[in-house]
Amino acid sequence: MKPAPFKLYVPEDEQEILALLHEYGTEARILAGGQSLVPLMNMRILQPQVLISLNRCAALSYLNEQGGGYAIGARTRQAELEDSERVAQRLPLVSAAMPYVGVRASRNCGTVCGSLAHADPLAELPSVAAALEATFEIASVRGRREVSADEFYLSALSNCLEPDEMLRQVWIPKAGSDSKSVFLEVSNRAHGFAVAGLALSVDIDAGGVCRKARLAAMGLSETTLRLRPAEKLLEGKVLTEELVEEASAVSTEATAPYQDIHADREYRRRVAGVLVKRALLNCSETVN
Amino acid sequence: MNEISDWTLIGKSVPRREDAYLLRGQGKYLDDLPVPQNTMHLGFVCSPYAHAKIAGVDASRAKALPGVIDVLTGADFSDDILPFAPDIQIDGYRRVERLVIAVDKVRFVGEYVAVILADSPYIAQDAIELVDVDYDPLPAVSGIEEALKGDAPVLFDSLGDNMVFESHFETEGFEEQFDSADLVLEEEFRLGRVTGLPIEPRGCLAVIDEVADTYTLWTPTQIPHQVRTAIADHLQMPESSVRVVTPVVGGGFGTKCHVFPDELVAVALVRRYRRAVKWVQDRREQLLSDPHAREHLHRIKVAVNRDGVIQAIKLNLMTNSGAYANYPFSCTLEATGAARMLPGPYRIRNYKYDVVSALTNTCPTGAYRGTGQPSCFLAMEGMMDRIGRTLDIDPADVRRRNVVNPDQFPYVNVVGVRYDTGSYLQSLDRVVELSGYDEFRARQPRDRLIDGKYRGIGICNYTEVSGTGAPGWRVRGFAKMPGFDSARVVVEPDGRASVFLSQADAGQGHLTAFAQVAADRLGLEYADVRVFEGDTAKTPFGTGTFASRGSVVGGGSIIRCCDKLIAKIKRIAGVILQADPADLVLGGGCVHRAGAPGNSLTMEQVAETAYSMNNIPLPEGEDHGLEATDYYDPPMVTLANGTHIAQVAVDPDDGRIEIENYTLVHDCGRVINPMIVKGQIHGGTVQGIGEALMEEIVYDSDGQHLNANLLDYVIPLAMDIPDMRIDHIETPSIDTVGGIKGTGECGVTGAVPAIANAVCDALAGIGVNIRSVPLRPSFILEQIENARREAAG
Amino acid sequence: MSLNDLISRLFADPGDAGKKPSQAAAPERLDNHRVNVKLTVNGTVYEREVEARYLLADFLRHELGLKGTHIGCEQGVCGACTVLIDGRTARACLQFAAALEGAEITTVEGIAGDGPLHPIQQAFHENHAVQCGYCTSGFLLTTIEFLKRNPDPTREQVREALVNNVCRCTGYLNIVDAVEAAAVKMRDRTLDAGGEPS
Repeated sequence: MKPAPFKLYVPEDEQEILALLHEYGTEARILAGGQSLVPLMNMRILQPQVLISLNRCAALSYLNEQGGGYAIGARTRQAELEDSERVAQRLPLVSAAMPYVGVRASRNCGTVCGSLAHADPLAELPSVAAALEATFEIASVRGRREVSADEFYLSALSNCLEPDEMLRQVWIPKAGSDSKSVFLEVSNRAHGFAVAGLALSVDIDAGGVCRKARLAAMGLSETTLRLRPAEKLLEGKVLTEELVEEASAVSTEATAPYQDIHADREYRRRVAGVLVKRALLNCSETVN
Repeated sequence: MNEISDWTLIGKSVPRREDAYLLRGQGKYLDDLPVPQNTMHLGFVCSPYAHAKIAGVDASRAKALPGVIDVLTGADFSDDILPFAPDIQIDGYRRVERLVIAVDKVRFVGEYVAVILADSPYIAQDAIELVDVDYDPLPAVSGIEEALKGDAPVLFDSLGDNMVFESHFETEGFEEQFDSADLVLEEEFRLGRVTGLPIEPRGCLAVIDEVADTYTLWTPTQIPHQVRTAIADHLQMPESSVRVVTPVVGGGFGTKCHVFPDELVAVALVRRYRRAVKWVQDRREQLLSDPHAREHLHRIKVAVNRDGVIQAIKLNLMTNSGAYANYPFSCTLEATGAARMLPGPYRIRNYKYDVVSALTNTCPTGAYRGTGQPSCFLAMEGMMDRIGRTLDIDPADVRRRNVVNPDQFPYVNVVGVRYDTGSYLQSLDRVVELSGYDEFRARQPRDRLIDGKYRGIGICNYTEVSGTGAPGWRVRGFAKMPGFDSARVVVEPDGRASVFLSQADAGQGHLTAFAQVAADRLGLEYADVRVFEGDTAKTPFGTGTFASRGSVVGGGSIIRCCDKLIAKIKRIAGVILQADPADLVLGGGCVHRAGAPGNSLTMEQVAETAYSMNNIPLPEGEDHGLEATDYYDPPMVTLANGTHIAQVAVDPDDGRIEIENYTLVHDCGRVINPMIVKGQIHGGTVQGIGEALMEEIVYDSDGQHLNANLLDYVIPLAMDIPDMRIDHIETPSIDTVGGIKGTGECGVTGAVPAIANAVCDALAGIGVNIRSVPLRPSFILEQIENARREAAG
Repeated sequence: MSLNDLISRLFADPGDAGKKPSQAAAPERLDNHRVNVKLTVNGTVYEREVEARYLLADFLRHELGLKGTHIGCEQGVCGACTVLIDGRTARACLQFAAALEGAEITTVEGIAGDGPLHPIQQAFHENHAVQCGYCTSGFLLTTIEFLKRNPDPTREQVREALVNNVCRCTGYLNIVDAVEAAAVKMRDRTLDAGGEPS
């Protein structure tokens, strides 16, 4: 189990990275944290001809307050968000999800953008980004463009990046003062390798009315899945127990889950409803 | 026998001396050994098919790669290595042979098809991809029951079908006894396929000693002497021309107590090329082709009377052999182990078993910690609970009514196994008290109201086969399994001692524990005794370390050997001290008259005399030197015992199981080092938690291995493990030297049934019947849902 | 997602890819790209020319002879190869040495050097948190990083931190005990040193 040969570039600025991507296209892969890529290379499932390491491109490592949210650069490690007081205050859903993302050693190396771009249906961060309506900023020598999570994810392990593009940053809006968020997942053991999960962010006003609800589930589809029927149901209403039950029920119906050796479709479908219920009850408890 | 009193070191939690180098990263495991220049690195081309004819192998692209020395196929070894098979002599067993590198046909995913010799491991991996093998896929079969059907694909044409082993046993007048009981309960229990998964994968380094014309094979094995014998047998070379050495070994768990095709290949290659050969296994290869275990199906019928006393048991057991017979055990190891040990701590007098093992297109099965026992006690202890539920008797009481009582020892069980001593009732009563079992039962109905979770409690009362001697192996058909182990103890010229033992440590702490035994026996300081193992050139022949035999047979060998040596020490000292040797005792590094420590000789003085390094002449008729070798073949088996109680909460919403309380009482006779014993219990219990709740190797119906990686073969982490309450009872064996019983496998043996029973107990009220492992959340939820649907009609 | 599923998603013919993972997409061989790299390991600066694909774990073990970093899975799961890169735990099997120009790496050999055992090592010894020892280096480095971030952890926090590594021998409980004991030793040491964390 050793990787096949490849050519390594460790460029120092973004222009150089984009130029290399332009030159090599599908033959190249960005090596950000490598926590998903390198195991696949060690097993020779992936054999890129060229790797472009971000290690020396310090300019892409940032966590900047910007336009009512935070911009997170392509080389920003997950652990930097995990350890950040600002993130805990302003991006509580990101903070809550972080301990579930791999393990500490993988978060020290793995980048936020790298995990987002890998598009594993059982990864936490894509659902967090979807629930927070993050903006994905994509760059190439041809210029920059911005897409939403919906547009970014195509299917399992597949995103909308063209061969010469990279995900250069993700922008996540700050949580408002009325905002509550919850991250939950279930696994076959206490930690790691989730079979399903849920990222939830709701705004609840002083009167207890849910003004905005964003629910994104993992493991329930080939990509992260926004639970729109539940969102629609919740918005504009007070979070009562009945409403929570109803939102849970429509979430169970709405899904056409992913299935593998760890859990079947039926389990994931049922657990989706359970997680929605738990997350909403958790929010209404915080409200009351 | 050998009643031992006034031990000063045995029974103490002496900190481990191994830690000194392991904690600094200085342990020399296989991949850490220095290698000779020009060492060739091996890579194995593995079959991606479960069942296929090999139409051809084209290695030309691989051979053209710079750094590749050669590529060999199975045909290249047909003159070097005999077909590989263990020597199993038991009725109903059909011999199957494996070519170490497949020639015409592959029978499981991961089987070796070709071997690369390269300058580096990286190049070897590159070359693997460049070997073009032309396979003609054949229909494959992976399940036991499917394999035994008439139309199943047959693995070995010469056999005609896939039945590889069957065994039957029946007590006299069985049917009559079975039919006359008040009622019969029956159930089906299944265990998933699991594996030992040591964190260090295997590997080997074969080097040549040109001067002596011998070969040294370094391999992380639990059975160095058996590896050497297997190599000599199958490579047709003198046993004396091969030396097998174990480096520091990174965990064994039974996985490393087999002899492997790659070990034979490595020695054949070093012999052929006269260049060192090294191979380090990777995790994928380890999960694909190192022995798997379990995958058992029990159909059990228990004839029981209204008082809860069992009158007769009928067992039908099916096990999955996989594609071949692992050396030296074959599939019979778990099959006969489970069937023979099923009566466990209970007075079962009428017993019938029928065991069948099937060949399938899966990795061969073999030993893994617990061997047969987590399996048979899942069935047996599951039936104890079912008797209780059916007859409305508390499950703990059902067990009390059936156990071998304290006044019945020694007891010979229904298949002829002697239980010399034991604490079956005491350990059950103690753990019931410690765990708060009765209090839990009293509050159990109310507990559900707390948070909607179903709570249950499960017991496993078990015996643990340990220290199996030659009679125990012969009765199960293992014709070439020695059974004994041996020690050579040397008091060196400086009066300090070296112990050379036929065993091989894989993390158990032998260098510490056995030094305690020898130091105690010889009356030396602990620091003055060193233990050496795992080298066929340094240590006398023996069986190895597996099946909970280390402490029993290793400890026993050392005690016997020390006693032989002590006799000589006393003879020499007797002449010098002008005392009757019978009056002399050893202690504090000296020899002196009992009760008169003033007039003493130091061990060093005795040794100087023995080695002719002073002016005191050696007594007439004594040989020089101060050493002895002795062998210990223990009785058929000695049985440790214990009881585990698990209390669990099952969340009916997500199907997750939480172990809220775990208590166990364990009795392994005389304890050498309590700290080490506790470590063995922890480790085994956690492997049992893994087997009960999450671990399973999955094959699809075509024999594709679906989780040969650590992302998908899910094992427990620290967050999965509850704190455990552990208590010990010490009931020394009266049959083994030193009264020692084994302890390696108790944890997994107790945990799997205790947890399954606890989950079953939690869910029995809503009509869910738990009778298989692993109990993953999706499975639990499915069971709950099925029960609800059934209840709703 | 399970690896088998992942393979089937990555390749056009899922049946074929699933069945023949080892033969999937073997490209023509590239010339081995070699890279010059300079990095610091346990305080010593090393400059070496290495193959681009050479894993840090292999570099430490076979290039520098620091064999206390053990390889257990090369999939980033078991944690036996855990080292510190710039003070933070990382899987040495998932890093390419050539991409680590300027990094400061600590391996198990760097914890105590030739001196007396570090308090964490001492705690592992006293609590019998070592059996076969193969996973131990990784656990020690995980503990170093963890206690630096959280010098006074609860038992549950210790368990959470230890999911960084897999152990198959000890059943974890003695390691949890050892980390708790180490935390106490480290706090005592800090107090002895006049309150300055070392």
